Amino acid sequence: MIGVLRSLGVTMATMLRKPVTIQYPTEHRKVPERDRAFPILLYDFEVDEPFCTGCHACERACPVECMTVTMKDNPKHAEGTSKRRKIIDEFYIDYARCMRCNICVEVCNFDAIAMNNTWAGHELSVLDRKDLVVDLDQLLALSKSKQIRPWVPS
Amino acid sequence: MGYVLWGIFGVDMNVWLDAFLRLQLVVVVMTVTVMALIYIERKFVGRIQMRLGPMRTGPYGTLQSIADAVKLLTKEDVRPATADWWLFELAPYVTFVPVFMTLLALPFMEGWGVRDLQLGLFYIVAVSGVTVIGYLMAGWASDNKYALLGAVRSAAQLISYELPLILAVLAVSMIAGSLNLNDITLQQDTVPNVVLQPLPFLILVTATLAELSRRPFDIPIGESELVGGPWVEYSGIRWSIIFALTEYAGLWGMSILTALVFFGGWEWPFGTRSWWGDFDFLYQLLLVFVKSSFLILTVMWISATFPRLRVDQLMAFCWKILLPFGFLQVLINGIVLTYLDDSETARDVVLFATSGALMVAMAWVIYLATRQPPREERVGAALAARSA
Repeated sequence: MIGVLRSLGVTMATMLRKPVTIQYPTEHRKVPERDRAFPILLYDFEVDEPFCTGCHACERACPVECMTVTMKDNPKHAEGTSKRRKIIDEFYIDYARCMRCNICVEVCNFDAIAMNNTWAGHELSVLDRKDLVVDLDQLLALSKSKQIRPWVPS
Repeated sequence: MGYVLWGIFGVDMNVWLDAFLRLQLVVVVMTVTVMALIYIERKFVGRIQMRLGPMRTGPYGTLQSIADAVKLLTKEDVRPATADWWLFELAPYVTFVPVFMTLLALPFMEGWGVRDLQLGLFYIVAVSGVTVIGYLMAGWASDNKYALLGAVRSAAQLISYELPLILAVLAVSMIAGSLNLNDITLQQDTVPNVVLQPLPFLILVTATLAELSRRPFDIPIGESELVGGPWVEYSGIRWSIIFALTEYAGLWGMSILTALVFFGGWEWPFGTRSWWGDFDFLYQLLLVFVKSSFLILTVMWISATFPRLRVDQLMAFCWKILLPFGFLQVLINGIVLTYLDDSETARDVVLFATSGALMVAMAWVIYLATRQPPREERVGAALAARSA
């Protein structure tokens, strides 16, 4: 009998508490710094080129083989403005295949790749699977627009 | 609008036109109330579960009920191929019409109902018993074992809990000496019946929960084992009639009945006449509204709190506890009212004392019953004692 009244008290107490709901599509929960969405490339603003030298380390380490990397001679090295002899030419990541294992970030020698820790990395619904294969421009876009707080394990 | 209202509020008018207008008013108010109640329940239960409830449709989701109504009314009305056509199509009306008929005898203001019946309470109790047939029809006609199980369960439950409900209102009508709801309400000018008769009030609330198949007594619906009770096979408009309208109109009607019979409706605490002059009726409506809202929210609160009972617990609670105590209350009331009819105060004190004592006794019996070891253990112990 006492338990009945006490349970009514419990429900009333929870009613007076603040709801935990977050109105998702219009309102986002803050993602943690070490959140792992999909990998993206980082941009070196000092020399105005990507950090990535196209060394294939991530491509070889990738367990699901979702990456395609090609390398070219860096024109800025010939001019003397950049220390990088080689630079990335083309970079494709198939987000449909990626399993967000973070291995590419860990093997990268130049801290050129990082996991996307913003909501943009999670909201990737597309109408065609092909649209999930992203190219170099798309991979660099977030870093170029400075919307990302890159977290690279050191 | 004012002209129409005054017509309904007592100016001479063609009897049929008057009845028609009153009926229309009740229908409109009922529909709006049902939609509001669905929204309020979703919000209230949401907050209890630390959710927000509907938020998207309109500001704070206020248009959710309208969106739901439009969806339900325009949805396909599916009927199983093996269903019994007549029973299946008619069952929603058989469940809903009795609930609507109970609303016709309720005095929402002093002397204002669709009809002021001398046997109002009797009429309400008699009519609300018919709903069971609608549930049975729906369950049988669906040709679905879950629907039939739900229907049989709801028949057992509704018929069982009808009896304590009748005894509870009977105990109160004995004090008023009338079955007319106006008289019962007017008699509570100083002390509401809930003070004189706390036990019948508790019995009535419990029986109401069971009659409306609400949470601690939602065995007939039982989503986890019976999918949805008698109306599994219903969809669209028929589902909205059998479920939404019946449930919530019933909740509304029963809470207004309880407010009138136990909380003194528009009479208690300040009397029917107020300083509002010509707008007394608004004051009375406000009182009834506040009291019935309180009851409705309490019912929602209870049904958001408790888990479902087992079938045998449900039946045992009704037949072994509520019903005997209801009979005892009626018996004691009879004795008290017969032998203490000269002093009003003494009568009231004795009524309160006896009903309070009975309530304590009922709590004690329930306490003992919950402390009993399980039946298997008791039977096993008895068998062991016999063989030893």
